[in-house]
Amino acid sequence: MRSLPPLPLLLRALREPGAMAGFGERDWDLLLRQALASNLAATLGLLAEEQGVLAELPARVRRRLGWARTVWERHLKAVDFELVQIRRALRDTGLPLILLKGTAYAAAGLPAAAGRLFSDIDLLVPKERLPEVESALMLHGWAGTHHDAYDQRYYREWMHELPPLQHMRRASVIDVHHAILPETAALRPDPARLRAAARPVPGRDGYAMLAPCDMVLHSAVHLFSEGEYHHGLRDLFDLHRLLCHFGSDPGFWAALPVRARELELARPLCYALRYCMRLLGTAVPAGVIEAARGGLPNPALLALMDALFLRALQPSHPSCADAFDGAARAALYIRGNWLRMPPLMLSRHLFHKAFLSPKAEPAR
Amino acid sequence: MSSPPIWRLVPGQGLVHRCHDGECVLFNDLTGDTHLLGQDVLDVLGLLREMPQAAAQMATALGADPQSDPGAGASILAELDELLADLAALSLVEAEAAVGAEVEAMPC
Amino acid sequence: MLTLASLGPRELRARLRGPGLRLQTGPFVTCVHSPLASLADSLGAMYAEYPVLEEGTLADFHVRLSGSTGLRRLLRPQVHFHYDGMAPFQPLPLGQAFPMFEWAMNWCVSSQAHSWLVIHAAVVEKGGLAAILPAPPGSGKSTLCAALVNRGWRLLSDELTLVRPGDGRVDPLPRPVSLKNASIGIIRDYAPAAAFTRPVADTVKGTVAHMRASSESVARAGEAAAPAWIVFPKWQAGAPAALTPVPQARAHIRLAENAFNYSLLGEAGFHAVGRLVETARTFDFTYGVLDDAIAVFEQLLAERA
Repeated sequence: MRSLPPLPLLLRALREPGAMAGFGERDWDLLLRQALASNLAATLGLLAEEQGVLAELPARVRRRLGWARTVWERHLKAVDFELVQIRRALRDTGLPLILLKGTAYAAAGLPAAAGRLFSDIDLLVPKERLPEVESALMLHGWAGTHHDAYDQRYYREWMHELPPLQHMRRASVIDVHHAILPETAALRPDPARLRAAARPVPGRDGYAMLAPCDMVLHSAVHLFSEGEYHHGLRDLFDLHRLLCHFGSDPGFWAALPVRARELELARPLCYALRYCMRLLGTAVPAGVIEAARGGLPNPALLALMDALFLRALQPSHPSCADAFDGAARAALYIRGNWLRMPPLMLSRHLFHKAFLSPKAEPAR
Repeated sequence: MSSPPIWRLVPGQGLVHRCHDGECVLFNDLTGDTHLLGQDVLDVLGLLREMPQAAAQMATALGADPQSDPGAGASILAELDELLADLAALSLVEAEAAVGAEVEAMPC
Repeated sequence: MLTLASLGPRELRARLRGPGLRLQTGPFVTCVHSPLASLADSLGAMYAEYPVLEEGTLADFHVRLSGSTGLRRLLRPQVHFHYDGMAPFQPLPLGQAFPMFEWAMNWCVSSQAHSWLVIHAAVVEKGGLAAILPAPPGSGKSTLCAALVNRGWRLLSDELTLVRPGDGRVDPLPRPVSLKNASIGIIRDYAPAAAFTRPVADTVKGTVAHMRASSESVARAGEAAAPAWIVFPKWQAGAPAALTPVPQARAHIRLAENAFNYSLLGEAGFHAVGRLVETARTFDFTYGVLDDAIAVFEQLLAERA
């Protein structure tokens, strides 16, 4: 495997937040840009605070991290409100509303929620209940999007969700999933098993989340089967935080490889553990690594995947790019077959209507 | 036959507001919206903050006397009903459901 | 303290082309990258007295303005704005490089600087007291602002008013004042000594020019001011200068509508605006003649003395 350049600052900061106290101004100039590009600025600030080093950082750094934190705090309030509204809309279905990914982390107050933004609310419901859920949401102000016939088929038949529903007044978006991978995918973890193991979110009446192992496996599958690689490092850090949080329970580690096999997700788990350990230094018990080894692909494929992922998972910033990167990202994009818009802070106001026209899809 | 609804503030609503000369701005800390309201609307919200109640009760508290002037009383009630519906649409108030309702958990 | 002028044109271009020019404007440090000679010249003219900082100094924003590549360069060359690897806006004709730079700088602050309530408004100061002039485009705010700063009022900002949520004071962000169409000629006449960029035609807003901020306003960029008046201006040909009080609650809503990050700041934003309309006097203001307008502001100031 080609050797990596020295670890980017952002990775160093994520692996060992306390080290941020020792970074100089020049380091910070670069680190902030890497963090912003990887959507991890708010997280960095919270990590620094958690480690008790925030006060030691340069004032301009604290100010900048504070801007990102303000955005995150506002986001959480908006999520709180949306969850109340969604519950109201879907109460009569009697369904437990299973939250996924960032929405689940935020609702449950998990460490993985710290500083994490997300654009859509993700729900998991049984496939046969989709029409009912869709009507109930539409009755309460969420409208369908992607009305083009091709798009409709894309979402409904090929992917594993309804086309995103957007609220007509508030513009919030809900993605209603019935599985965590598309029908057309090679891996088919049974959603019924995931739903059966779901547990209530404390303090959020009517809401549930995946069991700890399943949450980790979903995160792994989300990262390693889909194409959002500009989020790559953020998603890997999600995994790291989930593993650290749930890993304090030894029962979790014992169950993880077993559950992975049950759901046919041994390979994504293997990748997840491998890259978390290498890039973020996640502490994984040796027994688990052994048990997960069964998920490893053949050595040639592994070498290729190593090369692709280890580059794609680097901070998505020009300072961390090399000539190989564009190809790496493109290859993973094709493999993942998924398209999302990069996160971007566009002010919705007065200026760009006048002078600057926002692009529909910011180019890189 | 159903009885008139009991109204209450949406749980967690802080009624953050500033008033001046009969006009008020209210910050809905649940939705993040800011509203321009008359002082009289703030008074209605203040009544509900003290105690969930039906529109008729509020009308009396605000000085309407159905006994002495039934016509005026009825029209105040109608206005209140309309106002409460508007406030509900703004997620400031809600009608407690009738018998058998579950109480909505406080948002975290 | 090193200023942009002290670099000299060669060093200025070298920094812009290479490690980046780290320019201080108000509370912000922006690292500017650009190979464009025209932009270097405009910066040299409009930002001569602004502090520049050494390589490796932490910047708040990283912007790049670059030209087109390939065949585009020959046909209808454009200027592209990149914010740290992203290109959030459509390119513009190359001749609009300096206006694009100014608008991009505004965008950086208005979309991110959440330690302030950022209002789309001009703000000027005299006698320690600040007048905030919010206004949607086309109300004559910039013309009025340009006139005031040429009659003894200090420029804090012509587009972005930075209000501290903590104590309600305004932090200056003095930068070139943008003027358009007829206003350019009007202010040129009004302030013959003021320095302008060459007007750029055919922008989305018509013809645009920028007026350099005074040395004093740049030198005093660290001096905050207390808001005393909020004035919603509206230019109307032939109108006598007249102030009409705006009720507080209504002023609150109108200010909030003109603030970029009011909703984002949540309750803190609500209270920042609430405090503003309580401590400052709020007016609608119509005027037709600049001298009349200035007189009204002087009168407001005199009433406070």
